[in-house]
Amino acid sequence: MHRRNRWFDGIVMLVLIAAGCLMLLPYLWMVLSSFKSNMEIVSGSHALLPQHPSLEGYRTVLEDAPFGRWFLNSAMTSIVITAATLFTSALAGYIFAKHQFKGQKLLFILILATMMIPFQVVMIPTYLITAKLGLVNHLLAIILPNLVSSYGVFLAKQFIEDIPQDLLDAARIDGAGELRLMVRIIAPLILPMLSALGIFTFMNAWNNYLWPLIILNDESKMTVPLALVYFNGTHMVNYNVVMSAAVLITLPVIVVFLIFQKQFIKGLTMTGMK
Amino acid sequence: MKHDAAASSSPGIVPGIPNRRGEKGRGRWFIYLSLAPILLLFGVFAFIPIGWSLGLSVFKYNPLSASALFVGADNYIRMLGDSIFIKSLWVTFKFVVIAVAVNILITLMFAVAIQRIRTGWLRNLMRTVFFLPTIAPLAGTAIVWSTMFNYNHGLFNIVLTQFHMAPVQWLSDPHYALYSVILMTLWADIGYNIVLFIAGLDSIPDMYYEAAILDGASRWHSFWHVTLPLLRRTMLFVSVTTVVSYFQAFAQFQTMTKGEPFNETRVLALHIYEQAFSNSNMGYASAMATVFLIIILLVTLLQLKWGRTEWEY
Repeated sequence: MHRRNRWFDGIVMLVLIAAGCLMLLPYLWMVLSSFKSNMEIVSGSHALLPQHPSLEGYRTVLEDAPFGRWFLNSAMTSIVITAATLFTSALAGYIFAKHQFKGQKLLFILILATMMIPFQVVMIPTYLITAKLGLVNHLLAIILPNLVSSYGVFLAKQFIEDIPQDLLDAARIDGAGELRLMVRIIAPLILPMLSALGIFTFMNAWNNYLWPLIILNDESKMTVPLALVYFNGTHMVNYNVVMSAAVLITLPVIVVFLIFQKQFIKGLTMTGMK
Repeated sequence: MKHDAAASSSPGIVPGIPNRRGEKGRGRWFIYLSLAPILLLFGVFAFIPIGWSLGLSVFKYNPLSASALFVGADNYIRMLGDSIFIKSLWVTFKFVVIAVAVNILITLMFAVAIQRIRTGWLRNLMRTVFFLPTIAPLAGTAIVWSTMFNYNHGLFNIVLTQFHMAPVQWLSDPHYALYSVILMTLWADIGYNIVLFIAGLDSIPDMYYEAAILDGASRWHSFWHVTLPLLRRTMLFVSVTTVVSYFQAFAQFQTMTKGEPFNETRVLALHIYEQAFSNSNMGYASAMATVFLIIILLVTLLQLKWGRTEWEY
């Protein structure tokens, strides 16, 4: 490595720390604003710090909005989507990697090709199909289209292909059925990939905005991101209320992230998923 | 099947191996039974919608009237004369080009800087700080940022007045609106690419740098002639995924500006959504979605062609 130049390193470090502080600024703003009182906002104060810290914002959110409901909606749909995606991806990945059947190649390519399709292209027919199924404004509409993931199938196939055939043969000789083989032998071997897929599937399901926006319009059916935007529309003036809601929504996400940080970063670099 | 061959080559030696036909039959059933529901889901929510979307683009279709009128290429011809569509095409390209260029430039810089940090915990802390915004819902982040951009009580104007400068209409001045959204998008999104670049930098073997130093290369030289070329694969991946995801950027536009002022922030993704679900012009929206798809595929292909690397390390 290059001889370390103390001045250069110092300046780089300072710039980095300054940039890091700027990155945290919106969080600071969010928390500070959430503690402002209604009076202060109506009076049009220009202070960054709340002059009379109050919990009015939080009280309004928890009393006026079905906050627990939104959380439950998001948690329920995201968990079902994640569990199902992990299962279907591993299963399809296993079949594409270790079994042969007619049309296999073509089918796999077709599934891969859907990865390239932006959601804007399929959202209109998907809406029409969901409407035909009578699921508009129903949480099932959030779940149903997301039970399978083409990227998940692709990842699982890549990772399962690396498992030696001898291992599977040995298990078969011991009388293991296909499903048992998957759960007992294959799943543990691809666990790191599955946990990465799980994390990002959950995150995408939790953060999804466009599809819920299209299909849900009842306040009590909404998922968290949609509800926050909706709530913002009805509480435009009292931004302390909206910021309180934002804090309540962001906090658990940050806690979960800090706990699973290593897996997040490893998963991202392993799968390249967003 | 490989395992069939293995099993049938040694019949009778190991007791309990099912005979060839039974094994095969069971395998077939397993394949069909497990693939059927998965393929059904892919069919209904991926294959059919793609075909349907292409089909819909040659109809005039309003879901409320429930009668589709075949119009041939009219929807596509209409686009050529639709000044809002042309404008949104321009805005989309402007957004993608500026945001992607700035994104890659600063994420590469930050990644190099963070990777140089020797203290382990500090390096992890910096990475965490930059990565943190990526995990929150973008729609929620956008709402926090719209209060920061607010003309009367927003953070940015508070800071400007502190420095005795005139406040700015961040989201409703046509000169600033798109850049405000770009700023917010970058804040929310740079963490991904920083992490990917750090991983790419970590994978470059030290010996290349040592060789460069022996040859008398300066720090700057070894960045240009060692780091950048060896980072090419990461660079390709990062730029392809960032371009694709910025083309589809939606939540921040829908919540912060709704395409205003004067359509200066009306990106194609937003325009298609509004045509389809606010104006119920589903045929026309499908035609635009088809054009949108072709653009994204072409841009991706071009990137892959330009970014192809012939060697490995």
